[in-house]
Amino acid sequence: MDADLQAHIAFYLTGKRHSPNLLAIDGLKLQPALFAGYRDLTRLRYDFPLVLVKEGPAAVEPLSGLIDAILDKVARGDDGERIRKHVLRLEQEIRTRVAKGTSGTFSTLWDAAAPALAKDNKLMAESLSRARANLKVDGDVIDCDASLPYHLLGHAWAITQTQRAKKFAKDINRLVQKLSDIIKADFVNSDAGKSAENLRASFGNGPMDSFDFAAMSRILVKASAKKKPAKSRQKRVQNLLAVLQSQRFFPTSSATAEAPYSFAFDSCNDALKAYRERLPKAIELARAIAMAELEVRGEYSEVKHDALFESFGQNGLDEAELALLPDYLVRINATSLSGAEQSKLNEILAIDLPIKVVVQTDDVIEESPVGHLAFALRSRQLASMAMGINDVFVLQSPAASLYQLREQIQRGLDYTGPALFSVFSGATKTSGGLPPYLIGAAALESRVFPAFTFDPSAGRDWASRFCLATNPQAEEDWPLREFAYEDEKNQAVAQQLPFTLIDFVACDTRYSKHFSLIPRTHWNDTLVPVETALAQPGRGSLDSVPCLTMVDGEDRLQKVIVDEKLIREARRCRSMWNSLQELGGIHNSHAEKLLASERLRWEEKLAAASASAAKPAAEPVASVAAPVAAAEAAPVEPEAERSPDEAYIETARCSTCNECVQFNNKMFAYDGNQQAYIADVNAGTYAQLVEAAENCQVSIIHPGKPRNPNEPGLEELIKRAELFA
Amino acid sequence: MKSSATDCLLDLYDEQHELEDYQSGVPRWCTGCGDNAILTAVQRLCRDEALRPEKTVFVSGIGCSSRFPHYMKTYGFHGIHGRAFPVAEGVKMARPDLTVFVNTGDGDCCSIGAAHWIHAIRYNMNLTVFLHDNRIYGLTKKQASPTSPIGTKSNTTPRGSYLDALNPLSVTLGVANASFVAQAVDWIPESLFEIVKAAYHHKGMSFVRVLQRCPEWLPNSFEPWMQDPDRIQLLHHENSLQLSAGLSKVYKNQLQHDPLDMNRAREIASSEDVIPVGILYQNRDIPRYEETRQTGVLRTTETIRKGFDAELDKYTV
Repeated sequence: MDADLQAHIAFYLTGKRHSPNLLAIDGLKLQPALFAGYRDLTRLRYDFPLVLVKEGPAAVEPLSGLIDAILDKVARGDDGERIRKHVLRLEQEIRTRVAKGTSGTFSTLWDAAAPALAKDNKLMAESLSRARANLKVDGDVIDCDASLPYHLLGHAWAITQTQRAKKFAKDINRLVQKLSDIIKADFVNSDAGKSAENLRASFGNGPMDSFDFAAMSRILVKASAKKKPAKSRQKRVQNLLAVLQSQRFFPTSSATAEAPYSFAFDSCNDALKAYRERLPKAIELARAIAMAELEVRGEYSEVKHDALFESFGQNGLDEAELALLPDYLVRINATSLSGAEQSKLNEILAIDLPIKVVVQTDDVIEESPVGHLAFALRSRQLASMAMGINDVFVLQSPAASLYQLREQIQRGLDYTGPALFSVFSGATKTSGGLPPYLIGAAALESRVFPAFTFDPSAGRDWASRFCLATNPQAEEDWPLREFAYEDEKNQAVAQQLPFTLIDFVACDTRYSKHFSLIPRTHWNDTLVPVETALAQPGRGSLDSVPCLTMVDGEDRLQKVIVDEKLIREARRCRSMWNSLQELGGIHNSHAEKLLASERLRWEEKLAAASASAAKPAAEPVASVAAPVAAAEAAPVEPEAERSPDEAYIETARCSTCNECVQFNNKMFAYDGNQQAYIADVNAGTYAQLVEAAENCQVSIIHPGKPRNPNEPGLEELIKRAELFA
Repeated sequence: MKSSATDCLLDLYDEQHELEDYQSGVPRWCTGCGDNAILTAVQRLCRDEALRPEKTVFVSGIGCSSRFPHYMKTYGFHGIHGRAFPVAEGVKMARPDLTVFVNTGDGDCCSIGAAHWIHAIRYNMNLTVFLHDNRIYGLTKKQASPTSPIGTKSNTTPRGSYLDALNPLSVTLGVANASFVAQAVDWIPESLFEIVKAAYHHKGMSFVRVLQRCPEWLPNSFEPWMQDPDRIQLLHHENSLQLSAGLSKVYKNQLQHDPLDMNRAREIASSEDVIPVGILYQNRDIPRYEETRQTGVLRTTETIRKGFDAELDKYTV
């Protein structure tokens, strides 16, 4: 065996470098080859930084989107191109400043960056000034960094609660107004309300002396209804008012009200404790709202409703009632998720509380405490566990994809039960200075931290609830990207490179020992791409070594071999991704098995049909028109068997014209739907029956045969009755 | 929105009403009059939908049919000739929580009240309108109405009327914002009730023309259609009314008609040989005027007083 190959295989199996031709990669600033185009993100226009919009249709907008909206308005006409160029230069300046840690709102960042750019450039100053006048959407600008999940989800949650508070305030103000009106009306109708003093006070300004309020009072008191308003009702209405006006779940305009509760927490334990403490107040408020609604509609009945409301909320509050109140928000970091805290998190999710939990992870390839590689297990298990509970809204995503998932985030915040947002910030300390956006996007590409949502409100099956659509090339094991470079002869070469877990791990300085750089002079055909090694089921024949294509700090292509531990981890990562794919309906094994058996059955049927087609046709194929026509006709109910001698009315066809019932209201009567039937056939003569049939506007009375053979003129009556048989 | 458990419990305690709870007095209509059939269908609707009598209003104009509110044990407003619509619109505007019905006759609606009718269609407020169309002025003892067929002999047209009848369906379908147009006949109670029910559930102005017999003044007006079920054309569709087995058995002339198809609705409305029965047009997406004008501002005593003062201040000398 070739000495190089021996050394490579030894490294592959043991992770030890036994040859001077195997170089450690520490300090070489190597990056996965596909990262070559993303060295300076500030020169790219992409989703970040984001603007957390204070007021607007969307809670969050990318800076580039807002700039485009401004350009749509101002970059027109002859100087449109010039304005566009200047404003895009400003955008780049803002992006650079934010990447360096400057914070502020869109407008303040604009105002800080613009003067420096336009210092000696009048045209640019003019462009920026015109564009600035169109800056209408403002808010904090935030880059993809460690604080993004906290701020973005906190902002979206706060906006959701503000909207809920507006609706709540509208409802409460209406109820308070109507309940106050009830109290006022009771007073106005009381003797005190009709007193001369009160009448005078309500008269406003004017010639008071020419009007006798005492006389008016006497007349009103005398003429008023004797029935006094029930004291119990007055008391109830006053109690309801007190509860509605003293609530602390939403801010109120009342100066005397206590400060509203806070609903944002940094620990599950604190949120759970607050929820429990406030539950009686929440029940009291929900009860007051339900009672007040009845009261203002004038539908509250003490006999019926007192007992019902006495036991109100004994089983807690249901979804619809909870939806009136604010949701809780808990934001925690996975590193601070102790055993006790995790047990509280489980409790929140399991008992269906309206609490939204954001768990931020900054490291998805941490080593397990016992020294084994167990990438992404800690962060993944949370989302999987929450999905197992089945009633929890779950969203997992790197922070870099949160903007893309903004609609799903909103669905989670609007969901009536608990929601778990598991977010990888990308701010891993050992990522060799790569920006968090790039690390987050790489985690998504490499399937280390796939993005998905599980929305229980979307339907009852997995197909409706589970969505993997945000992942690139979700139907593949690893996404393939085009990679172009120049070879030694300056010829352009393009190839498809997959982005795997190994590429992702190669960015992390903690795991550099698992990689060895192969000097260019030792490159040979035994160095095979990692995807080839990953495609093999096991160790294989050991005549080649998996190798990764990377670039150094000067964008030169390098080859790095990988040890077997990482290959094993990559297979494990792929297997986890494959499970998610199945849940998402991609390469679903049940469906594929069913499809195979159906295909087999279909082929057998086809074979049998072609065999019988060889024989002469036996029977013509039935026309399809007839069954279609038959299907359109409404089914006809079997008709009740009736004796031709019996007198009856087709009650359902009666048009309530009163003819028959006025003719003989003992023989004919109306049923519960005010339609006629024969109540007592013996309550009149056969002659009356026949005459009623003749007078019936819709001819639905059937006289049948006479019951009294001695009735005079029967022969003629029977003849007349034949028309109505 | 999901109903809370409390709502469900409250529903359990909702009052159940009987037909008698909506009946008031004995109608003075002639024996055999089609108004009775409409009254019964509407009373059944009130009972089945458990409409609270104190939250239900019937508004009418003048004529036989306009006596309708007197026979309902609910709120009612027996208005002035041709003005049922403006009154009903005012009620709905001020009290959108009330269920408002309008009962009007062919003279009341299509003659003196025609202008109000046209604009009520355009406003599309959530009203359920029944046009009791017996093709004659009955209360004043037989004068030709706008819907009297050409040649109708009456006290005002002793040699027969000279003009073609106005078609209330075609007119309604020609006005902007028409959202529900249906036709029923009083002598098919099942179909009448189903149409009344659909009209009630429609959010917007539902216009139901009910062809009804006047046994006193035009006793044979609908005789050809009553005697020949094939001259009644029942409209049905999956998005509209479905026909029961009983109806299908008697009325075999059936037409599948999509209620969103306005052009076809206009064709059907123009039928003369057959009487189409069912929903000709229904569009649930047309905005209701009372909702369009809803400002969301709470009408407190203070805001009303402020608005009132502002108006009066305009006339301060």
